[in-house]
Amino acid sequence: MTVVKGEALRSRDLYERPPKYELFFPNFVMKELCVGLFFLIILFIWSYFKNAPLYELADPTKTPAHIKAAWYFVGLQELLAYFDPYLAGVIIPTFILAGLYLAPFLDPDPIKGIGRFAWKERGFAMYSFIGGFAFWWLLIIVGWYLRGPLWAFYWPWEDHHIIKPPPPPPWSFPLPAGIAYIIAFFGLGITVPGVIFPNFFYRMGVVRYVITMFLWTFMIFALAKMFLNNAFNLKYILVTPWFNI
Amino acid sequence: MGETVAKAEKVVKTTRREALRKGLFWGCWGIFIGFAGMLGISIVRYAYPRIVWEPSSTFKIGKPDDYAVGSVTVMGDRRVFLIRTEGGFYALSAICTHLGCQPIWEQDNQVFMCPCHGGKFYKDGINFAGPPPRPLPRFLMTFAPDGRMMVDKAKEVGLDFILKV
Amino acid sequence: MKWVPLGLVRYTFCLGGLSVFFFLLCILTGPFLMMYYIPSVDRAWADVQDLSNVVPFGRFLRNLHRWSGTLMVICVPVHMLRVFLQGAYKPPRQLNWLVGVTLLLLTYLMAFTGYLLPWDNEAYWAATVGMTMGENSPIVGSKGPFSILSQDKDIAYILRGGTMLGQPSLTRFFFAHCVAIPGAMAGLMGLHFFNIHKAGGMSGPL
Ligand code: HEM
Ligand code: HEM
Ligand code: FES
Repeated sequence: MTVVKGEALRSRDLYERPPKYELFFPNFVMKELCVGLFFLIILFIWSYFKNAPLYELADPTKTPAHIKAAWYFVGLQELLAYFDPYLAGVIIPTFILAGLYLAPFLDPDPIKGIGRFAWKERGFAMYSFIGGFAFWWLLIIVGWYLRGPLWAFYWPWEDHHIIKPPPPPPWSFPLPAGIAYIIAFFGLGITVPGVIFPNFFYRMGVVRYVITMFLWTFMIFALAKMFLNNAFNLKYILVTPWFNI
Repeated sequence: MGETVAKAEKVVKTTRREALRKGLFWGCWGIFIGFAGMLGISIVRYAYPRIVWEPSSTFKIGKPDDYAVGSVTVMGDRRVFLIRTEGGFYALSAICTHLGCQPIWEQDNQVFMCPCHGGKFYKDGINFAGPPPRPLPRFLMTFAPDGRMMVDKAKEVGLDFILKV
Repeated sequence: MKWVPLGLVRYTFCLGGLSVFFFLLCILTGPFLMMYYIPSVDRAWADVQDLSNVVPFGRFLRNLHRWSGTLMVICVPVHMLRVFLQGAYKPPRQLNWLVGVTLLLLTYLMAFTGYLLPWDNEAYWAATVGMTMGENSPIVGSKGPFSILSQDKDIAYILRGGTMLGQPSLTRFFFAHCVAIPGAMAGLMGLHFFNIHKAGGMSGPL
């Protein structure tokens, strides 16, 4: 190492750089800042040309016919159109959050695939997560682009000025059918994968397996309800005096 | 002999000191958690206002002759729909039973349609499409002594209630 | 002196760093908006109108705040996606994942409460729907299943400061948006970074 006289000695001159490594500061931080600078430029241009929307003054006496949430909540709004408010607004988000919080503890393998895209080894986990993630964005796209006035469904080529006629009255499963449907759905959803893939079951252990498959089945259950509602105009699967599903 | 006694004394002393130290440690945590809890509870209670300035739940809406038979009057500032039928009047809550938006009266289809998630109600308030879980509640209506009608939003009545005129 | 593997930018796609960056931009522009914005149901909308049309560069600052908030709401979930797909939640980083999920929730709450502040029609009805969701929660909401609290004691009452939306609600949203949630987020972000440090830096292929 040669030290040129008159130049301050910096710490990075004193140590050998390990191969394939760089300093966190300044090298790595500078790279991140460059990316930040890139987005700062974009943001300035964007903010110069595109104004944040501001709608009419709040009118508590009248809901506008074309009301739509901020785009990042349109997915939730779309979900709310299929379920009772306590389900779509509270129970489903709670389950999503619970699933996210539990993710590290539901994964039985502490090391496989850290720091890389291990499509082969962690396929199930990765595709499940991508599926849920994509579904959230799909809901946003449907809610934002395919919902017209009064939250009716419009294809992009349909005219929003034509108000859709109300659908025929909905129906619900009778109580025994509803109970049977739910028991069968969750029973099969939780047991069948373990029977088909016994290795998966043993690798997970009982507790992890049951929680994972419960969350999974819940997701499919919600999707199935949305499908039944759309296709057959089904309102409730289970009707009780205290709550409906 | 004397040595072992001294040793034993030392052991007793250290365990006593140890216990004291532990007690102090957990005692401090206990006091801290207690006070934090008290602060938390007071803040939660603090967030519940004791008095709110909100409009009264009863209000007068004029004489029966002011409203045409078959009409639906939207009283937005009271969040009430007033409906006149041949038999008389009833007042429906204008708050969607789904998530609280205000349904819009569609004269052509003779239904209420909620813009937020597509809930729909018949003229009598029964929900028949979309997510709303319950019919729109009806409010008690009476005649005031001066012959004008009154609505009381604090009192819900059955789905067959009608103020006969 | 801390060495990190070359090509780290490729592993993280800068998504966490960008989330911090957009958060800082919001933190920087937000307080300046507060200089003209008054959280009163009579004034708020007019103030935002003034901010956009009268105050020099007010519109620019507001746009910056809005669009960087928007980008943050995109960045944070995608950061989570990349963390999951690279298995970076595995030991010793589980705690950081938990902190992260909380940050995600708070980011959405920031975006929600911020959207209510201009008190325009969209804000008012978004607030109505959000608060009625609280009213419909099981047990603690007055209209939900198994409710135990009456309408003047339930969770929605505490959130909007009354049984209907009004001035107390806007004050509360303002407090949440400008003080409570950003404070919690700043603290949690500190913990987030400390956790990365403690885990010996970011995850990389073993
Ligand atoms: C995570 C960070 C933040 C996000 C995602 C965020 C998001 C938003 C959004 C979406 C709006 C609505 C803007 C609009 O109507 O155009 C808003 C408004 C506002 N925010 Fe934030 N914000 C953040 C941080 C802050 C902070 C830290 C402050 C102040 C300390 C702040 C103060 C304000 C004020 C005063 C407004 C009302 C002015 C206006 O509507 O333009 N924000 N914010
Ligand atoms: C406001 C939101 C967030 C901010 C500002 C933030 C910031 C960061 C930063 C700067 C890093 C360094 C690595 C990178 O740039 O990717 C990081 C890593 C990490 N973040 Fe976040 N994050 C946020 C939200 C989340 C969320 C929602 C999750 C997951 C649910 C999460 C989990 C993690 C984990 C596990 C790491 C370690 C990754 C590794 O070692 O490779 N964070 N975060
Ligand atoms: S609020 Fe009326 S349908 Fe959701």
